[in-house]
Amino acid sequence: MKLSTFVVLSVLAGASPTFALWPIPQQITTGTTPLRLSSGFSIKLSGIKNAPTDLNDAVSRTKGFLQNDKLQALVPDRGASSAGAVKGAKTIKSLTLSLTSGEATKSIAEEAVAEIGTRSEGYTLTIPADGSDATLQANSTLGLFRGLTTFSQLWYDLSGTTYTLEAPIHVVDAPAYPYRGFMLDTARNFFPVEDIKRTLDAMSWVKINTLHWHVVDSQSFPLVVPGFTELSAKGAYSPSSIYSPSDVKDIVQYAAQRGIDVLAEIDTPGHTSVISKAFPEHIACPEASPWAQFANGNATTNFTASLLSSASTLFSSKLFSTGGDEINANCYTQDGPTQDDLTKQGKTFEQALDTFTQVTHAALKKAGKTAVVWEEMVLDHTVTLANDTIVMVWISSTDAASVAAKGFRLVHAPSDYFYLDCGGGGWVGNNINGNSWCDPFKTWQKAYSFNPTANMTDEQSKLVLGGQQLLWTEQSGPSNLDPIVWPRAAASAELFWSGPGGDVAKALPRLHDVAYRFVQRGVRAISLQPEWCALRAGACDLDA
Amino acid sequence: MRLIQALLVFTVLLPVFSLWPIPRSLQTGTSFLKLSSGFDISLDLNNVPSDLSDAASRSLAHIRSDKLERLTVGRGANDAKAISSAPSISRLSVSLSKGATIRPIAQEAVQPLGKRSEGYSLIVPADGTQATLTANSTLGLLRGLTTFEQLWYTLGDTVYTFQAPVKIINDTPAYPYRGLMLDTSRNFFAVADIKRTLDAMSMVKMSMFHWHVTDSQSFPLEIPGFTDIAQKGTYSTTQLYSTSDVQDIVSYAGQRGIDVLMEIDMPSHSGSISAAHPEHVACPQATPWSSFAAEPPSGQLRLASPATVNFTASMLTAIAKTLPSTLFSTGGDELNDNCYAQDSPTQAELKALNQTLEQALDTFMKAAHKSLIDLGKTPVVSEEMVLDYNITLANQTLVLVWISAQNATAVAAKNFHIIYAPSDYFFLDCGAGAWIGNDPSGNSWCDPFKTWQKAYTFDPLANIPAQKTSLILGGQQLLWSEQSSPENVDPIVWPRAASSAEVFWTGPTLPDGTPLSVETALPRLHDIRYRMVQRGIKAIALQPQWCALRPGACDG
Repeated sequence: MKLSTFVVLSVLAGASPTFALWPIPQQITTGTTPLRLSSGFSIKLSGIKNAPTDLNDAVSRTKGFLQNDKLQALVPDRGASSAGAVKGAKTIKSLTLSLTSGEATKSIAEEAVAEIGTRSEGYTLTIPADGSDATLQANSTLGLFRGLTTFSQLWYDLSGTTYTLEAPIHVVDAPAYPYRGFMLDTARNFFPVEDIKRTLDAMSWVKINTLHWHVVDSQSFPLVVPGFTELSAKGAYSPSSIYSPSDVKDIVQYAAQRGIDVLAEIDTPGHTSVISKAFPEHIACPEASPWAQFANGNATTNFTASLLSSASTLFSSKLFSTGGDEINANCYTQDGPTQDDLTKQGKTFEQALDTFTQVTHAALKKAGKTAVVWEEMVLDHTVTLANDTIVMVWISSTDAASVAAKGFRLVHAPSDYFYLDCGGGGWVGNNINGNSWCDPFKTWQKAYSFNPTANMTDEQSKLVLGGQQLLWTEQSGPSNLDPIVWPRAAASAELFWSGPGGDVAKALPRLHDVAYRFVQRGVRAISLQPEWCALRAGACDLDA
Repeated sequence: MRLIQALLVFTVLLPVFSLWPIPRSLQTGTSFLKLSSGFDISLDLNNVPSDLSDAASRSLAHIRSDKLERLTVGRGANDAKAISSAPSISRLSVSLSKGATIRPIAQEAVQPLGKRSEGYSLIVPADGTQATLTANSTLGLLRGLTTFEQLWYTLGDTVYTFQAPVKIINDTPAYPYRGLMLDTSRNFFAVADIKRTLDAMSMVKMSMFHWHVTDSQSFPLEIPGFTDIAQKGTYSTTQLYSTSDVQDIVSYAGQRGIDVLMEIDMPSHSGSISAAHPEHVACPQATPWSSFAAEPPSGQLRLASPATVNFTASMLTAIAKTLPSTLFSTGGDELNDNCYAQDSPTQAELKALNQTLEQALDTFMKAAHKSLIDLGKTPVVSEEMVLDYNITLANQTLVLVWISAQNATAVAAKNFHIIYAPSDYFFLDCGAGAWIGNDPSGNSWCDPFKTWQKAYTFDPLANIPAQKTSLILGGQQLLWSEQSSPENVDPIVWPRAASSAEVFWTGPTLPDGTPLSVETALPRLHDIRYRMVQRGIKAIALQPQWCALRPGACDG
């Protein structure tokens, strides 16, 4: 008997509101009134002159989700015991969107690629309990898009009825950080455009706003760069494993329409050996050890600057990354031409790297881009970088404070919290006991508990733009893209939207909701726990 | 972005022969041979069972539709000239040895372990004359067809091999049990997911599907006469294996040379039965869960209750009699003493019977196993039943060694037959972090991830005395599904689970007499992985494609 009491209690705990929103809004109030969507539910634009096509498209997609998600509430009876309440609930007939200024001055796509820090992503959403119209207001089409995303997560399905048990709902929301990203490496293994688009859809559902596209690397060069087409012709895995300029345009536009800026990276001067397939004269120690050449005189520097200029024109973003991680000094020490050039110019390795970086970054600046680099460019090398350069911290979360101390804006991408590939074992061939270099696996809980301003002064904290989880693809491809990324990558999306300090125990039920909703929408997010746990909030916690 | 510096040294390019598991005898040449447009498989035997003709049809379809390009730089483009002048083969003749009995594959596949005939011989001449496949059973023919399918690559519209002639004489497995375990209780897998998994298993000649169908989380198995257990114990009415689903899965498996070893884990891991039969379950969903079970939720059959013993035995009879396999597992891992200590009815029964918990367990297991033995089945148990408890088990009982590979020594000392399923080599779920909530720094209990290399270097005879080696029946990799579901079953299982398939088919040495090695295995494993992807199985990339196209280039 005593034990049965325990059972009843745990079921009641599970029935407490498992509010499905992710990331959780900055301000939210909810009630306890059931409310259902009318069968003819509509989303209207009120007084928005010149509504851009991508806003209308976003409205259509939202209506599609409301009809097709068919997600049952994650409780043991999947909502069956609410049937009476749902049946007797008032119906809501429409959601009305409006802009503060009245007129849409820019499309979602335009707003999404605006200078970082200037984007307006906030919105206010009100859903009355009495069945009167819901309203969504924002200062920009991008903000309306974020609000639509929230609205589409409020609803569950019970035998064909779309309902919530928590009206009235009032949300006032805006992100804590302007950079909320996800990085995908398409060089170690190739991902077709449709996989990237599906990933962009999933990213937009958790309000991620930047795709950091690590598009090329030593293993392959799938990006077709106008004027440098030999690179992909010879450096891609196969003629079909490429991103043509129209593919890139398609991806960039698809992303922007979903509120996502595409930050492309051509990692230099390391991670470029595949360039040797087309231009062996520009690469040191290709394949024997895949790191690139940059110091053999002006030819390589100018080549790289031209390449970056051309590649950057493919992307609408104001940001472009030149990478700069893992430069292998031994590669250059062992490379005769590099040593000859250094001697001839009377330069050290570092001086040559400085020249290389200044020239390549100048080319980007001329193209209107802000340079993004990996942390080594700031912490390990003595190169001159423009003050507005954005630095990605990847080696360790503890390096962020050092980057901030040098006054650079930074994006958190630390391997000890955010690398999605860690824990997959060693991928190098004949290494029987090889382990993942960044073992163990970084759980969603680990990522979620990240502190973006650890060891920083208030002034330094202002340099933090946000962060991202990352998928390096030595052991990934289209086969496991969804399950290795989702729902884990949603952890940083909430961290940088809602702000740090969230409670993993409170987050888990909502994250289950994200995963189950993703599956309903065709993204193969994994089960974080047995379904038994997903249906009983808190029952599988460590201390439950 | 790896922080490691692999020495990327080119080794001599060895032929990347795609067979997995590699046959125990194998001779190949260097001639190109292409498949003629009218290529056919001719079943030259009387009274062809329908599952054999189906298998031949599938092989023909695979050979045409795999469209796998060679894993080499250029993807075989350099072969164009040699292919254009290569002879064409138009026929594979399939026949049984003289005097062999013709039975359906599905019937051969469920013979007792050790009585199955899986060997075959395959000859593919280089001159385009007909290839021949012979075996002593239809099951052997299936294995040979599986090998034949893997010989072929595609360039443009041409299907070809570059290693004719091929001569395989009596390729027969080293061990009869080559399995994969899937847990369908923690999370549910639709019939289509299980069938796809069976297809992949069949590609690497696995012979056993260990189906951990129920557990404390859910009971998705419909048992005739006991349908209320699943109705109330499964996640939802659509997450259920009906009687006809089970028959569908079992026959699908049998036709692919796979025996289904079903497991209803008991007396622990039974909490889900409490929804329909609270009277038979101690400590269902008790809190704190960590005092009552290895993981939430808790719940164990009331082993001391005569009513529960009868219920359990009847339930086992009801399900086992619907299955063709001669094996059935009652599990028996992770029994929690405190659950019974806190359960008043169990304590009262023990007192009434004047028995210890161990004595009651003995009675319970005897009754459970009697129901199986009466049906002609051989019981299978977890190692704890042998190593941790002093209970009587039938001599023929098979034991799953899962806690540690080293425990096989102790099981062998007790003269029980062994199926290897060790967590330290074969658990596919390890390394994915803690799944328990509210535990930000929690790690996988069996961290690290068990790589294919780790599994591949498993030695089944380590620490087994020479006179006991015949107790080893084989082994399997396992997917416990706390963090898995249909969304990731393919990538978490494949191609890793192929490792043990080769270890237990090929045995310790390659056809040239050298020991198995991860160096020579990797290019073949890439090959089977890419072939699986062509067949719709979402096997993961083990390495960057750059490495997959350059054998040895990414070795350490």
